Amino acid sequence: MVTLAIAKQTLEDMLRRKILLILLIVAVAMIALGPSVGFLSPRESSAVLRSLGLAVILLAGLLITVLTGIQVIPTEIERRTIYTVLSKPVQRYEFVLGKFLGGLFTVFVMLASMGIVFLGVLRYQEGRFSPDMVMGVIMTFFQMMLLGALAIFFSTFATPVVNFFMSFGLFIVGNLSSVTESLLENKNVATRAVATLVHYAIPNFGNFNIQNKLIHPQVVIKNLNMFIMQNVAYAIIYSAVLLILAIIVFDRREV
Amino acid sequence: MHQATRRKLLLALLPLAIAVVFTQSRIDPVVADMHRGVKTPFAGLSTEFILGPLLGMQQAVAGLLWVRADEFFHEGDYDAILPMVRMVTWLDPHNLDVYITGAWHLAYNFTDSSERSDRRYIPAAQRLLEEGDANNPTVYDIAFELGWQNTDKIKDYDRAYYWYKKCAEERKGADERGEMTKPVPMFVWHQLAHSLTRLGRIDESIDIWRKALAMSMKIVREDPKDYSKRNVRDSERHNLELMLKRKYSRYTHEIDWALDSKLPSTTDPNTGEPSARDLYVFKSAEEARQKQEQYRAVGQNPPALSVGQPRPPAVQPPWETAFDVRPTFTADRVLELKGQFNVGDGARVTIRLHDENWRPPQLKAFTFTIDQSVTLMQDQHSVRQGIWGRKIDMSKDPKMYSFTSDRYFLVFEFDPRGTSPFVQDRFGWSGEGMTDRKYLTVESQKTPPNRILRKVYRITRAQVLRRAPITEKDVFPADRYAELQRQTP
Repeated sequence: MVTLAIAKQTLEDMLRRKILLILLIVAVAMIALGPSVGFLSPRESSAVLRSLGLAVILLAGLLITVLTGIQVIPTEIERRTIYTVLSKPVQRYEFVLGKFLGGLFTVFVMLASMGIVFLGVLRYQEGRFSPDMVMGVIMTFFQMMLLGALAIFFSTFATPVVNFFMSFGLFIVGNLSSVTESLLENKNVATRAVATLVHYAIPNFGNFNIQNKLIHPQVVIKNLNMFIMQNVAYAIIYSAVLLILAIIVFDRREV
Repeated sequence: MHQATRRKLLLALLPLAIAVVFTQSRIDPVVADMHRGVKTPFAGLSTEFILGPLLGMQQAVAGLLWVRADEFFHEGDYDAILPMVRMVTWLDPHNLDVYITGAWHLAYNFTDSSERSDRRYIPAAQRLLEEGDANNPTVYDIAFELGWQNTDKIKDYDRAYYWYKKCAEERKGADERGEMTKPVPMFVWHQLAHSLTRLGRIDESIDIWRKALAMSMKIVREDPKDYSKRNVRDSERHNLELMLKRKYSRYTHEIDWALDSKLPSTTDPNTGEPSARDLYVFKSAEEARQKQEQYRAVGQNPPALSVGQPRPPAVQPPWETAFDVRPTFTADRVLELKGQFNVGDGARVTIRLHDENWRPPQLKAFTFTIDQSVTLMQDQHSVRQGIWGRKIDMSKDPKMYSFTSDRYFLVFEFDPRGTSPFVQDRFGWSGEGMTDRKYLTVESQKTPPNRILRKVYRITRAQVLRRAPITEKDVFPADRYAELQRQTP
């Protein structure tokens, strides 16, 4: 209950942040303007519109997640409101989990808003509902969940600026998972070792990119449901690892 | 937090980490398969675009690049499009339109000042399509485009047949096994039949038309109100009927419009197949005598012909085409041709000038960089009233025609398989009805053999620059030329 109460308070706090609302408005405007580039052939227009829409949702989600993740705990410390909270019968792990869930709810609300607009634009442009695009938004949500957990973990010991660059940097490296995966069979032992470490230790954000499948009907994933479930499981398990680490670090931190 | 709780949490990390590695190992093969052909983020992008792929938005960047490439196309900046095509296909190897449009652009749009294609780009166009087909094996689109480019641009009907067959039969089978993401449309079968016709394999072509018609009739039975499906069926019926009529008229009886006009009444209403009945035999001694006179008129002894006997093919005796050409360089790199060809108006002669050591290259990997030192010019000219001629000015386009080699082949060809139906009505599909005292070449390695006309000159750079005339002493054996062209570059 305590965790949920903190999460609710965090959500309300985040939704009052102008920067996040501005990001949402800009993203929604960009999605709505997507059809303006549709002067190619119908198949090309559809691919461009879908890829642009999903990219805008991803980019806005990325910024919202990182800005939320790097702020939720340091802001409480900076404003000294954390003393009030922790003086109550609130465990530190409940505080960390509450902040994480609050951030996650914020991202969910933002992604859902953008997703609804995106589906509406597609419905208007193509004359039919595209339920497969919901899958893209869901995958982006779990990608952001993992990123949020990473940002929360860093926020337990790093300043927001450092956290921003670390989270952003690891997101980029994690997006290169197909590159690191291809290096796993490299003939050079050292390269192979580094690639293995990077591939399995760093969160593979590239796993969640199913735009190929969503944009091009000819791309086949043999068992799509299983693939989605595996990615959801990956996001949940890895987030759990990061949150445990965050709890351990935050527990020992002098506040 | 108690020490014990902390220890438990730390211990919990171990199975979770193992679960992460296990899950990742299950995800990897699916991701690798989905991203087959992707070369990102090292896709040669400029700095303003590189961030997109790094953040996992390669499809969006590819889409924007393609929009930009479209703008370049409309501005006429063709050279700028090529690197963008490469980048887009690296970022998004499942974008079919980029492969197809990019290959069309390479094969057709680079031209000299007289709108002759720069054919040095054709191997690159083919390789790009082959790469696209390998990256998208669950659709027919790119394989179909390979068939079409080989038919329309390259005139390599063997390769066209290979790709159409792959499209129609292999992918039809894959479609039935549920491995394709969209069904193979009937026009693929139509092109397969056309490619067999171009190869002179007429009975096989007719079989494909029959097969296509049977499929369409089944489709129409299932959905009788669909107008477009009925149209497809009707076009197949028409093409089958046309093929059978042509086969009979070209090979089994004299062209006789009085007789042919009666054919529809004996045509099968479903398949369009005409009945042989007694239309193709000599019905009177007078008909046999007329045929014998035709043989004598061209200096040949007629075979024994009698009433009731099937008439010999319309293409016999072969027609003397008197094919010839006199090429002259009237100025530096300006070629003037004066030719003769005893054939119906509209037959087209192919003219090709290329480096002596040039062979059609087979690219192992796609590159849009071509060897600028190679000279390769190809053109066609129509025959009018038995003569043909053209002035070909290559001096205005030194980038396409650098003439850096010392020796060149200048080739003039007529291939009956690529010509119009009204010319084939006279000569048959494989030139069975034509002959030439000087320049007939029988391509016996093909089945059935193809009878083409080919005159080849082997000339020097000095002759191209008009420092020496071209004479008949420069004529090179056509068989030897064909043998050289078949050698691997």
